[in-house]
Amino acid sequence: MNIVACVKQVPDTEALIKLKADGSGIEEGGIKWVMNPYDEYGVEEALKLKEANGGDVTVVSLGPARTMETIRTALAMGADKGVHITIDDADAYNTAAALAAAIKEINPDVIFCGQRAIDDDSGQVGSVLAELLGMPQITIVTGFEVADGKVKAIKPIEGAQLVIESPMPCVVTAQKGLNEPRYASLPGIMKAKKKPVDVKDAAALGIDVAPKAKIARMTPPSERAPGKIIAGDDPAAKAADLVKLLREEAKVI
Amino acid sequence: MAHGAAAYTVGNEGREIFWNAPFPSELILFIFAAIAMAVCAYGFYRRWQLWKAIGRPEGRIDKPGERVKSLLLNGLLQVRTFREAYPGIMHALIFFGFFVLIFGAAFDATHFHMPFLVPFFNGGFYLWFSFTMEVFGLAVLAGIALAVWRRYIQKPERLEYRGKSDTIADDAIILTLIAGIIITGFLLEAFRLHVNVNVNGYTWGGWSFVGYALAKTLTGVSYNTVEILHQWTWWIHAFLAFGFIAYLPFSKLIHIVLAPANQYMRSLKPTGYLEPIADFENAESFGVGQLEDFTWKQIFNSDACLRCGRCQDVCPAYLSGKPLSPKKLHQDIKEYWLERAPVVIAAKNAAKEGEEPVIPEPEKVMVGGVIDLHELWACTNCMACMEVCPVYNEHVPMIVGMRQYKVLMEADFSPELQLTYKNMENNSNPWGIGAHMRGDWAKELGVKTLAEKPDVEYLFYVGCSGSFDDRGKKVTVAFAKLLMEAGVSFGILGEEESCCGDSAMRGGNEYLSQTLMQMNVDAMNKYGVKKVICTCPHGYNTLKKDYPHFGGNFEVYHHTEIIADLIAQGKLRLKEPVSGLFTYHDSCFLGRYNDIYEQPRKILAAVPGMKLSEMASNNNRSFCCGAGGGRMWMEEDIGERINDMRTDQAIEVKADTIAVACPFCLTMMSDGIKDREMEEKMNALDIAEIVWQAMGIEEVVADVPEENAPKE
Repeated sequence: MNIVACVKQVPDTEALIKLKADGSGIEEGGIKWVMNPYDEYGVEEALKLKEANGGDVTVVSLGPARTMETIRTALAMGADKGVHITIDDADAYNTAAALAAAIKEINPDVIFCGQRAIDDDSGQVGSVLAELLGMPQITIVTGFEVADGKVKAIKPIEGAQLVIESPMPCVVTAQKGLNEPRYASLPGIMKAKKKPVDVKDAAALGIDVAPKAKIARMTPPSERAPGKIIAGDDPAAKAADLVKLLREEAKVI
Repeated sequence: MAHGAAAYTVGNEGREIFWNAPFPSELILFIFAAIAMAVCAYGFYRRWQLWKAIGRPEGRIDKPGERVKSLLLNGLLQVRTFREAYPGIMHALIFFGFFVLIFGAAFDATHFHMPFLVPFFNGGFYLWFSFTMEVFGLAVLAGIALAVWRRYIQKPERLEYRGKSDTIADDAIILTLIAGIIITGFLLEAFRLHVNVNVNGYTWGGWSFVGYALAKTLTGVSYNTVEILHQWTWWIHAFLAFGFIAYLPFSKLIHIVLAPANQYMRSLKPTGYLEPIADFENAESFGVGQLEDFTWKQIFNSDACLRCGRCQDVCPAYLSGKPLSPKKLHQDIKEYWLERAPVVIAAKNAAKEGEEPVIPEPEKVMVGGVIDLHELWACTNCMACMEVCPVYNEHVPMIVGMRQYKVLMEADFSPELQLTYKNMENNSNPWGIGAHMRGDWAKELGVKTLAEKPDVEYLFYVGCSGSFDDRGKKVTVAFAKLLMEAGVSFGILGEEESCCGDSAMRGGNEYLSQTLMQMNVDAMNKYGVKKVICTCPHGYNTLKKDYPHFGGNFEVYHHTEIIADLIAQGKLRLKEPVSGLFTYHDSCFLGRYNDIYEQPRKILAAVPGMKLSEMASNNNRSFCCGAGGGRMWMEEDIGERINDMRTDQAIEVKADTIAVACPFCLTMMSDGIKDREMEEKMNALDIAEIVWQAMGIEEVVADVPEENAPKE
């Protein structure tokens, strides 16, 4: 079975994010880069599928040179080979287009993506990729299996869950709860250094590399107002103060 | 030889050796002695082959001076065995008794065969010799009686594992053999003296007071009857002794050789030392997954384990109801080795000259089979087992070795520890709090980083708890204020500091721990750091003992050492009296690992109004808080919580404050106080906080610690 897992390198959730002075993006220095957590679920599911059915897992990623580190992480977990696509200016569409072009050559049975990346939260790449490849897609899944040549996935919705069947090949986007991503073994880490990674430039894949969306400006979230402590000794008076503040200042009652 | 010849007289007292042993008794005796010794030698030869069949090489014969000292103290003088009264005295009676009797027998034999070597063996010397032998003979009997009482009547828990008795036939056989040898010895003496005194006029018979007293009871029995009895007893005595010699290498008696051997070959490395994995790039396997991955010494340890159970008696994991018992661990490995070694030997023998032997794959899984995974992960690395083991077995490195296999080779370990490791990888702290926040506590105080001010005497290595844990940060602040108050020149690494690597190392993730250690070493060397102070004993221990492997050679101090010094020099003046009763909880990594017991107590004693009471387990017998060996980051879902048990000890002495010197202990004791619903009555404080309060400069209020759960 030919399995593809798409991964994106993102800043660690705890990293201190500073914006560039012109608001065009974030300062990348001093940031710890990690694999997008939703993509990790995708990689784990790909590895499980391979372990159950045999085959190859190819991990595909798009990003600058540092992205190689994240590809190696997936290889250390057990993926067999990697494709690293470089592009100058990425948006969701040209990313999906580049991935689609690279993945077409692999001729996969299943493609896993994270349901969204935690940096830009756009949640588009998986769906656009499926569209460009002309494949069915099942998004935000928490359960996955292959039986009788068909994919069966579980997708939680408000108050229920859907069981969706799809023919293969198809695109599946992973949600938290799908699995527990494994910790890479040391031999895995060592072997990952020697596994093949194809580096391709997006332009050479024959796609239109011009981004369709442009970030106009990034601004930091407004600072949270400090909490207020109601002073006083008389609980009744304090309660009255609290109600007053909730009504007049917080405007919640 | 009718009733023996009276060659000895008053003034030339002695006795005839081989009295009443007509020809060819002596010859038969020597033939069987030779057979017994041959069996014994074969037994050891066989054992030797088993020892060398499995295990990686390890050098244990360096520094002979220190080794001989260890042998004399522990082998000859029984220092470690004596640490506990009942078993200490019990063993000493048998050991010293037997030791003296064997030398006595050797003296006898030498006197008989080579009299020119011991020309003094008669007269006064003989009388005192006889007397001494009686005393030590009785000592052995008393020791055996104590042993029988202990094993078969008292039955302490340490001779069991969770209600399953350890006692096997071997135990009874040995006690019977030894008792038999002594009793027949006394009987022999009685029979001989009955004749010697009454017939040969050996008036000095009373010096052999036990035999003499027994002889008195024979009054009226015919001499011929007694001589026949004597001959029979003589053979029984002889054959019991031969049995002892022949049985020795096949029984627990082998400890007569293995215990001193192990005491001689004990680790001379710093306490708790773990050998770093040297070559990640080229090694094929990491840690201990198979018996073959242990060193020969580690397997030898298992053979040297006598099942005395002292380790089990002090093991916090065992005592709190977890499946680990250091004794059982050794016994299980020993049993598996005795199964596996013959297979390996047979395979080696079957291989043709110059060919690599084809050793069959083991049928059993060792890590996760022979040794249960819950056993493996229950260990807190508290070192209590190694501290009490009379034969200096090294349980902890064996456990860490097997953990390394599970983590590095199989990546099969608890999810909460996986999260901890990921957090360490990404943010260099177990909680996964943003690494950039490491130095935030220092900003208000004006403590400078080495980047800002490199020219300082000490680096204060704060560590993860002191940097990220809200409770830990209060200790850090208190200690930093003390340093500033005393005018000590110091700085911190701030964001350049990494996790010390102790939890990762002891939790089996050597790859991660070495990465973290190297980052710290590089940062410290960049600023030419020479002296380091740690408030966390885990950082302290690992900086001191493990960092030299990675190019980090620093003078490392724990903050209690520094504070004790500053108080002694008069640089910290404590004037504000404290109230309530204090008790000091020894951190394992400070106490047993680094022998720091005095300084914290000295500091506390210097605090005005200090009332200090020791808990049931203190100093080198201190009871772990439960957080060592990576356990800090793991769920404790089997048995009782170790920290609660320790808190109970503090409650027992009615302590108002548990003084600690370790952030892990602080968390664990604070949680224990909460679990026991004692937060209204008790609190836990770090020594730095107590001292800061006693400075009377400002009030440091110790809040109930806030939970710092790992990030999801």
